[in-house]
Amino acid sequence: MTRYGMVIDTKKCIGCHVCAMACKTENNLPNDVWWNRIFTDNGGEMGFDMVGGSYPDNLQFGYIPVACQHCENPACVKVCPVGATYKDPETGVVRQDYDKCIGCRMCMSACPYNGVRSFNWEEPVFHMDYAMGSKDAPEHQQHVVEKCTFCYHRTSQGIEPACMHLCVGRARFWGDLDDPTSEVSRLLAERSHKRLLEDRGTEPSTYYLV
Amino acid sequence: MSEYMQGGALASDDLDFSASSDRGRASEHASTAVKSPALNVAIGVSAVVMVVGLVLWFMQLSGGMVQTAMRNLDSWGLYITGFMFFVGLSAGGLIISSVPKALGIRGFGGISKVAVFSSIACTVVAIGLVVVDMGQPFRVWELFVYSNLGSPLMWDIIVLSTYLILSCVYLWAQIQAERGKVSAVALRVISVIALVTAVLVHSVTAWIFSLQQGHEMWHTALLAPWFVSSALVCGTALVMAVVIGLRRAGYLNVEQDNIVRLAKLLGAFVLVDLYFFGCDLLTEGFPGGAGAEVVAMLTQGPLAPYFWFEIIGCVACAVICLTPALRRNGLLVTASLLAIAGIFCKRVQLLVGGFQITNLADMAPAVNSMSITYADGTLADAYANLVYWPTPLEAGVTLGVVALGFLVFFLGLKFLPLRPSEK
Repeated sequence: MTRYGMVIDTKKCIGCHVCAMACKTENNLPNDVWWNRIFTDNGGEMGFDMVGGSYPDNLQFGYIPVACQHCENPACVKVCPVGATYKDPETGVVRQDYDKCIGCRMCMSACPYNGVRSFNWEEPVFHMDYAMGSKDAPEHQQHVVEKCTFCYHRTSQGIEPACMHLCVGRARFWGDLDDPTSEVSRLLAERSHKRLLEDRGTEPSTYYLV
Repeated sequence: MSEYMQGGALASDDLDFSASSDRGRASEHASTAVKSPALNVAIGVSAVVMVVGLVLWFMQLSGGMVQTAMRNLDSWGLYITGFMFFVGLSAGGLIISSVPKALGIRGFGGISKVAVFSSIACTVVAIGLVVVDMGQPFRVWELFVYSNLGSPLMWDIIVLSTYLILSCVYLWAQIQAERGKVSAVALRVISVIALVTAVLVHSVTAWIFSLQQGHEMWHTALLAPWFVSSALVCGTALVMAVVIGLRRAGYLNVEQDNIVRLAKLLGAFVLVDLYFFGCDLLTEGFPGGAGAEVVAMLTQGPLAPYFWFEIIGCVACAVICLTPALRRNGLLVTASLLAIAGIFCKRVQLLVGGFQITNLADMAPAVNSMSITYADGTLADAYANLVYWPTPLEAGVTLGVVALGFLVFFLGLKFLPLRPSEK
């Protein structure tokens, strides 16, 4: 069975936010909506894009891009009362049906990766007067929950996700985790890696090479 | 129990025959609509507040929920807090009324119908608050067409609607039983079912939260029994306050002995609830780590005012209820109100607290106006205070839904035969 996953090489990530921008453009995201956010790995004490730790010996600085982790055991899918968020049987990608969503926000609360889901709190407003990105990306609606689709409109055609396509450091890899010959599987076999909040048992399909 | 089964007292709320003459007097005009100017004013005021709430709700739907203080990182707010609170509040009435009937023990002196009706009003408020919290209320039909029966929210919808219908059936059965049209056995069976549903409705509401592994504070097996105990506290307190109030207003006549027994019960429930709180704090805090963060947030963090109000209020309530010399009506009403406010504070702690601690706290994201209510500074600034405080619009909509509950209750007082009427 196919199980799409993403591998992100944190050694190569330079924190340029181009993947976040690519995602925003490709999916024509409304103002202040970001499906793909770049966290600064600095111990959390300092703000975003700032060095953490203490000078001079214990400084900490790095970047972790975080979008929907497309979990193998997704907490959001279990709790959705109407099945608007569901796991695609073909690809293992966690998808969201905007036309079905009743806006109860149960999935937002259930997801341990705070903030990967966003709710359209207002009628979508855009910086541009015209739509950006792919015409196949689903349209945005007020009062529904949305999140990273793993660029379903691209990956279902065999094209890589937008965030990976534009990654400057070539830090992102996409492929079938169940296929041992795929690039992602090879990388995971060769390099040491981690996943976010593994203790929650959600089995994310997003891996970070460290 | 045998007496219960034999004709004579079939319709009585309990087996306390001594006071039937008093109650008989009160029931002389029970069947007619209550003519009280004060009640009419109360109905009018509730209706006006409800209509204002309705207007604000339409504003929220058309202008967007951006007008509330809820955001992606604190995605539930006052509505869901209120939902939890009113589900709890609805318990007391039904349980106070059904336990004596189900177990065949002495009841609380003819307050059964008023108690159940207060339950119905609270359930209506709880359901209303879920509806106003929904982004797409016009898609509510999907719940029945595309039901995902694995979702705790779906369980809650099923159990809550059963609960509402059952409460109505139960009230109807009591009224019919008084007219001799429903047998004692049937009434007793309905009481048992109502009791089970009441316990279930609180457990399921707790499971909405406690089954989420994403929130350290919610993810505990204790939450369901704790919700039941909190429900018993504020439910009993509500019934006691309402009964003392209605007696003062001359609507019904209940002997002090029954009030005292309610007070003792309330005192016991409050202690159980505090005991659960203590168990939970110890279990969370003892290993250190993330759980200790929760304890620190409650006792000295931004939620400390709610925490200490609850603890002090509940202890005061227990002292008043359990000290015979203090069981005077004024103090008992104060104790009830303290308990109700204390449990509301508990709901706030639980809901806001659940979002107050983030899982990815060792990494800093960029925040914006859609991520968190106070996104002006850094994330650390936002979390230094409360992540969430309702906007006036939210408060207004909530008030409107609560007014709907009051309206239902006052209309019931006016038009339904809720007074003790056993002969």
